[in-house]
Amino acid sequence: MRFGRWSLRLAAVALPLALAACKGGGGAGDAGGEPAKGSSLKIGAALSMTGAAATYGQSQKNGLDAATEEVNGGNTLQGVKLELLVEDDATSKEQGINVFQRFINTDKVSVIIGPTLSTTATAADPLAQQARVPVLAISNTSPTGITDIGDYIWRDSLTEAQVVPGAVKKAKAKIGFKTAAVLYGNDDVFTKAGYDVMKKALADENVTVVDTQTFAKPDRDFSAQLTAIKGKNPEIVVVSALADNAAAIVAQARQLGYSGPILGGNGFNSPAFIKNAGPAAEGVLVGTSWNSASTAPANQRFKELMQKRGVNPDQFTAQAYSGVLIVAEAVRKAGFKTGRDDIKNGFAQVKDLDTPLGKFSFTPTRDAQHQPAVQQVKNGKFEIVQ
Amino acid sequence: MWQQAINGVFLGAIYALFAVGYALVFGVLDILNLAHQAVFTLSAFIALAFVAEGNMPLAIALPVSLLAAGLIGVGLERVAFRPLRGRSDSNISGLISSLAAATILEAIALQIWGPDVHRFPQGTFPDKPLHVLGATVSALQLTIIAVSVALMAALTAVLRATRLGRQIRAVAESPRAARILGVDVDRVIAWSFFLSSALGGAAGVLFGVAFNSVSPDMGRSVELKGLAVIILGGMGSIAGAVIAGFALGLLEVLTVVQLGSSWRDAVSFGVLFVVLLVRPSGLLGKAAIREA
Amino acid sequence: MPDFGSFFLTYQSLFAFIGLNGLLALSVYCTLCCGQLSLANAGFMAIGAYTGALLTQNAHAPFPLALLAGAVLPAIIAVPLGLPVLRLRGVFLAIATIGFGEVVRLAFVNWSYTNGALGLVAIPQKTRLWMIWVALAAVMFALARLRGSRAGYALEAIREDEAAARTMGIASTHYKLSMFVLGAAIAGFAGALEAHLTYMVAPNGYGFSRAVDMLVYAVVGGDAVFYGPVAGAAFLTLLPEALRGAGRALGLSPGPLRLFLNGAILLAVILFLPNGIVSLPRTLRERRMRKASRAALG
Repeated sequence: MRFGRWSLRLAAVALPLALAACKGGGGAGDAGGEPAKGSSLKIGAALSMTGAAATYGQSQKNGLDAATEEVNGGNTLQGVKLELLVEDDATSKEQGINVFQRFINTDKVSVIIGPTLSTTATAADPLAQQARVPVLAISNTSPTGITDIGDYIWRDSLTEAQVVPGAVKKAKAKIGFKTAAVLYGNDDVFTKAGYDVMKKALADENVTVVDTQTFAKPDRDFSAQLTAIKGKNPEIVVVSALADNAAAIVAQARQLGYSGPILGGNGFNSPAFIKNAGPAAEGVLVGTSWNSASTAPANQRFKELMQKRGVNPDQFTAQAYSGVLIVAEAVRKAGFKTGRDDIKNGFAQVKDLDTPLGKFSFTPTRDAQHQPAVQQVKNGKFEIVQ
Repeated sequence: MWQQAINGVFLGAIYALFAVGYALVFGVLDILNLAHQAVFTLSAFIALAFVAEGNMPLAIALPVSLLAAGLIGVGLERVAFRPLRGRSDSNISGLISSLAAATILEAIALQIWGPDVHRFPQGTFPDKPLHVLGATVSALQLTIIAVSVALMAALTAVLRATRLGRQIRAVAESPRAARILGVDVDRVIAWSFFLSSALGGAAGVLFGVAFNSVSPDMGRSVELKGLAVIILGGMGSIAGAVIAGFALGLLEVLTVVQLGSSWRDAVSFGVLFVVLLVRPSGLLGKAAIREA
Repeated sequence: MPDFGSFFLTYQSLFAFIGLNGLLALSVYCTLCCGQLSLANAGFMAIGAYTGALLTQNAHAPFPLALLAGAVLPAIIAVPLGLPVLRLRGVFLAIATIGFGEVVRLAFVNWSYTNGALGLVAIPQKTRLWMIWVALAAVMFALARLRGSRAGYALEAIREDEAAARTMGIASTHYKLSMFVLGAAIAGFAGALEAHLTYMVAPNGYGFSRAVDMLVYAVVGGDAVFYGPVAGAAFLTLLPEALRGAGRALGLSPGPLRLFLNGAILLAVILFLPNGIVSLPRTLRERRMRKASRAALG
């Protein structure tokens, strides 16, 4: 009887393990851990398809799918085909780690793209670094803890430190303000990092911050904070928020009667922001990494492809799409070889690649380098501020 | 200052409406229904679907969504709560069962509508700002406050003056005694869930309209605030939930003004804590809280 | 044929997580076995994790010391917290502990010394798989010993009917507090271990959903016996990975389906296997016996 009970319990544990193991083993893997050389480049994309970051994961998947199709269709890699594997990390660091392990050891990918959130990255990227698998982050914007993990970790997403100071400078030159109020999300790495940069940038421009307010990501009501801010009469309100919160903040600010200028960070750079904020979005200044209005051919092609798929692209889509282009370029630079170190070395040689983000290179510390932009919402569309 | 007061009252109205549903189910079944926030969310989506795709005016979509929410609540009770009725650990298992149901409902919303935030189409409601005593209020906000108060008053009327209401109160007091007195306990519980979910659903629709944002995770923050409200108000007390809802809304706004917004949620939970330690029955609750 | 070398490499993290989640589930079991529904352990886990990580990073403390501190500090905090809070019954205790967990999370989000929302990164990886499993075995052993002992009977009595237990002279407050503190220590210890495994800690990993997950491991596994929570943790940690594998094989895209199945399985277990997964063999056996006896009778 006891044996029976234990064997059943063991079965309950072993069965799901077996299920998990037998699937997706795929290609001719060898125990060495290196992917099979040949004409297929396996890309493992760890994205948040469920959980708190699901909307960004979805945007990213759209970008990755489109770019993969485009590159494979264009046949510019001398026969090398990109094979994209997408897994959900459920916005959980535990599952992020499990996905990375799977990509590295079972699927034996040549390069990993993602994960969506910086916090997941700080937990999962070290595994890739140890296993010597290159990682290309497409949305991690935390200033520390990403590329400083090691030389296999790269990113194409500009940090707020690369975007915001230029935006603040340009806004000051255009509007000329001496006082500002700041509102930021303090429970999210993206927006908190943005705030740190905004604070410094404002100080550098000799602007006095008359009020600082915070909110949490799940919040929908900002009237208390905005009323307090309005009471201090700032000449400009600087906001570090993600698109959904950003739309609500701007709409509520206008509703409460604040009619002065508003400057937002990277998070505002999304069609969802304009759509959800409605007429309140008009005139809002945005410091962004992706210049959606750019007429460069790479960007036009990107927008065209996304439109064909019925997708309204945002910054996450653009950075994801560019990520695949960068990987393809790395393959080219590596002599069309598809090994892990080939990709890593290839990244180092990417220079001025034409992407929707503009001409892209990596900095010596493997961070992104391309021209950021300052945009303003005019007539319901983003326009470049000269 | 008035502006902040209005902000507080507006927020409070929605908290109160949401919490009232919690309180009702707890009063009757002694179970914390964590699926309440899922009904809140689904209801907002249903209203959105009717308005955006069915071209229904909001005034009609609201009662229709309420009805739908109530029915979901009844289904929820049947599937997730009734089978657990006899069990000794029913409040723990009920909690987990409601959690499982919430996960399922959220997955459904996610599958149908995706993770993005949706908004109501332009022109769903008139957006006229009014100026009262130096504060800006929109007609929408006043309407929402009015509707919340009306619904809560309606519930109170049902509980006080109708036969169903009396039966609900009897079952809340003692299901066994009620059964002996001939009350159809199963039916009464189903009705309680119907009412509770209808109100939670109304809160969801109003919330979605108020902030023009409907997403599968919109219930999360309200869920925990709702707990603070019912504790403050006293579990099982509808009037308590109402008063506490408004009180919490005002308290949150006050915290932002005086201490800074980073303290806002911490203060809400701090209050929760203090109430539980000092006066666990809350403002108006009568439920037996302590051990012997 | 599955490749066993890469199988182990792929799943070594999974084994580590099963062990950690087992520890967390047992920490909840500590309070469940005397009838207390506490959701405070995610908060204690956070305190243990941050304490251990800070000691390692800022004070360059030796690893055993960091782990010890990770267990002791939550235990110390559990005393003044538990004394007033354990007087509350059922759902009220649950809510109070949920409140505690949220306050801890918010404190870390707002504390600039620990980098707020970003948390602490690049924590050296000092935890090894064997450490986790030794700890788990030790805790299981301790709780198993509790079972037949006088303390064990006292706990069971308190769980059944606290008032009656009190009249029989059992110092229920003392026992409840001890288990609460023990649970806090285990959770904190697991937190410190996890911090030194996953290289980072961040406040959002220790919120309400974490607390609920731990409770679910314990209840789904079976909260009547000491090995139940571990079985639950193993099952629920493996489940998303199993679904991932199955999804890949069936060609399903990642998304809400996994979430749905998670909820459905949880619901099924709660409704049909009230004593958890570990009672499955017994339930099946009973059903078989009933069928046999019915057949025998005619």
